[in-house]
Amino acid sequence: MKTNLTSLIITAVLAVSALAVPPVASAEEVKMVGAITKIKVAADGKSATATLKDNKTSASVTLNIADDLTLDKFKDKRIVEGDEIRAKFDNASGKNSSMSFKKTAGC
Amino acid sequence: MKKTLTKTLIAVLVSGMFLPVHAQVTNPELLKRVEALSAELAQLKSQIDAGNDSSRRATEDLKEQVKKSEDKSIGKWLTIGGDYQFRLDSLKGETRTFTDVNATFGNAQDKLQADFFGNPSTVAGSSTYFGRMGMSTAGALSALMQFSQRMGGVSNYNQALAFVSNPLNGGLIQGIGGFAVTVPSYKPNNDTLYTNRFGLDLHAKATNNVSVNARLVMYKVFGAQDDSAITNAGAAPFFADRVGVFDGTLSHVPSSSYLNVDRAYATWSNIADQDLWFSVGRRPSTNGAPGNIKLNAPGPGNGGTPSLLVDYAFDGMTLGYAPDINGLTGAYGKICYGRGFESGFRSRPANSIGDTDMLGVAIIPIDTDPLRVWAQWNRGFNIFDAPKMNNTYFGNTMPKANLGDIDWWGVGAMGMIKNVGIGNLNYFVDAGLSISRPNNNVSAQFGFQGLLTGGFFSPEAPTSKRGNAISTGLRYDLPSKTKLGVEYNHGSKNWITFAPAANDMWTSKVGTRGDVVELYLIQELANPPISSFLSKTFFRLGFQYYDFEYTGSNNWVGAPVKISDVNGQFMTTTPVAKAYNAYATFEVKF
Repeated sequence: MKTNLTSLIITAVLAVSALAVPPVASAEEVKMVGAITKIKVAADGKSATATLKDNKTSASVTLNIADDLTLDKFKDKRIVEGDEIRAKFDNASGKNSSMSFKKTAGC
Repeated sequence: MKKTLTKTLIAVLVSGMFLPVHAQVTNPELLKRVEALSAELAQLKSQIDAGNDSSRRATEDLKEQVKKSEDKSIGKWLTIGGDYQFRLDSLKGETRTFTDVNATFGNAQDKLQADFFGNPSTVAGSSTYFGRMGMSTAGALSALMQFSQRMGGVSNYNQALAFVSNPLNGGLIQGIGGFAVTVPSYKPNNDTLYTNRFGLDLHAKATNNVSVNARLVMYKVFGAQDDSAITNAGAAPFFADRVGVFDGTLSHVPSSSYLNVDRAYATWSNIADQDLWFSVGRRPSTNGAPGNIKLNAPGPGNGGTPSLLVDYAFDGMTLGYAPDINGLTGAYGKICYGRGFESGFRSRPANSIGDTDMLGVAIIPIDTDPLRVWAQWNRGFNIFDAPKMNNTYFGNTMPKANLGDIDWWGVGAMGMIKNVGIGNLNYFVDAGLSISRPNNNVSAQFGFQGLLTGGFFSPEAPTSKRGNAISTGLRYDLPSKTKLGVEYNHGSKNWITFAPAANDMWTSKVGTRGDVVELYLIQELANPPISSFLSKTFFRLGFQYYDFEYTGSNNWVGAPVKISDVNGQFMTTTPVAKAYNAYATFEVKF
């Protein structure tokens, strides 16, 4: 009986604790504009990394890209190193997963 | 030298470590020497460290120099590309019998002049041709000149109606009929028309977010330095967009070996840190989507206009915005403005012509490889009756009347479906609507015709006319880099577009009042690219078949006439019933 009660109390405390502590990793959407300094398409062609040099900070940011539309543009060279990109990515887990990756608009 | 010394010292020290302990202890001299050597070693070590620092600094300096050099290098800010096209066209057609207005007036003038110079007389009734009207040879010649002058003074429908109702003018019109140059139906053909086209593209990143693009083009016929081979020189042209080369078609219709500026525009992107841009200059308003499929060219991106509605080298500007909307990848919208004709100073009493302008709004809700959708509205303001051209069949032409406005509406989609069988399937479908908004003006130089109204010397009250068109096509891309395409378009009786710069030789096919079918085959060479990632070489073989239902394709002056009803009427251009074009190209993109 004591054991059950103890277990219940511990469970309740853990649950309250869990609610009290804010989630450590929440999705954070980051936008940036910068030129591509490096593109590396994975051997299986199903993912790629692209390093952008942020126009504002000059910092290099490497994004992980997995969407087919962008990968196709890498493969047939419609997006190449030197192109300026407007990107949106999720850096919550530190993976910098690309959510949007397109050349800056204009003609 | 330092390295050698260091090595020696290290060797000495290491060997010293293996000396017997008792020897070290018992030999103070040796101990002193070891201490001295240790001190020397420490000194050398610090010298090496200093050397490393110096070397690091030198490396950093070098890196900085390389970066500076890269920043200044042309490749960092300037991209050069272009294309070459050799093209062979084999053209055949079928015309209908008509009366050539220009030739008729010329004939009347020649004969009346000859009559006068053969018998210079002011005696009433002496004219061979108008004697029955009591005219002398001098009087008849003078009447024709006055007729032309009075005709030039007519500017609106009411004046035109009054002009043709005037008995004197009516008599002369009837009399001019006596000089009619009737052109029987014939089958024009040109078995081999060769052309050369060379284009040079420049893209310069001027500053952060500001770039300049330019395209210079030479497009000429083999063995000629003019457009005669395209315009049916010496006889009435077949179509209004192939009367001569003008501002909107320069570099797109063969002319001469001059390298002309086809495009030159500056673009300011990322305005206010948004995907907002402003671009101004001689615009990329030609070869738009979905025309790029047949041309084997990349998609137009944010540039261009739907090729069914506009294919015209405009000077103008664009303000665009590409919002980031989930689920609508690549969405953007833009407002475009272009000037089709600049009329000059307005305060002069003699200048009644206004500028011709075009305003357009484009909404592209999605722009991806599998699907691109567009909706477009344009309005052409103060539409001119003829563009400025030199040395045409009609002489040097220029706008002499603003005939009103035209609205265009268009909606279309294109995309690619992957892995259909062994290849990929490209498709497009596009629909357009044109609505004319004529004012009361008529074109005196074209016999009082208005905006899609009237015939030569047969004015018609201005009324709005609606036309529509549809265009669709498929292209199947095989792994062998072979591309097979088929396209079809249809335009209704009153369909009018603004696409004279299309690359079709006979006439812009999307402006056809009738049906056009085109088949083509593209074969790319497997040669790896060198000059740029997108460089390639290919052949294109194609065949176009035009079946015209109405006259006046690509001409907004005058009312269309059913081809089957054409039988000797006064016309400014040769009515073509059918046209065929078998073509082959060899194209290099670099």
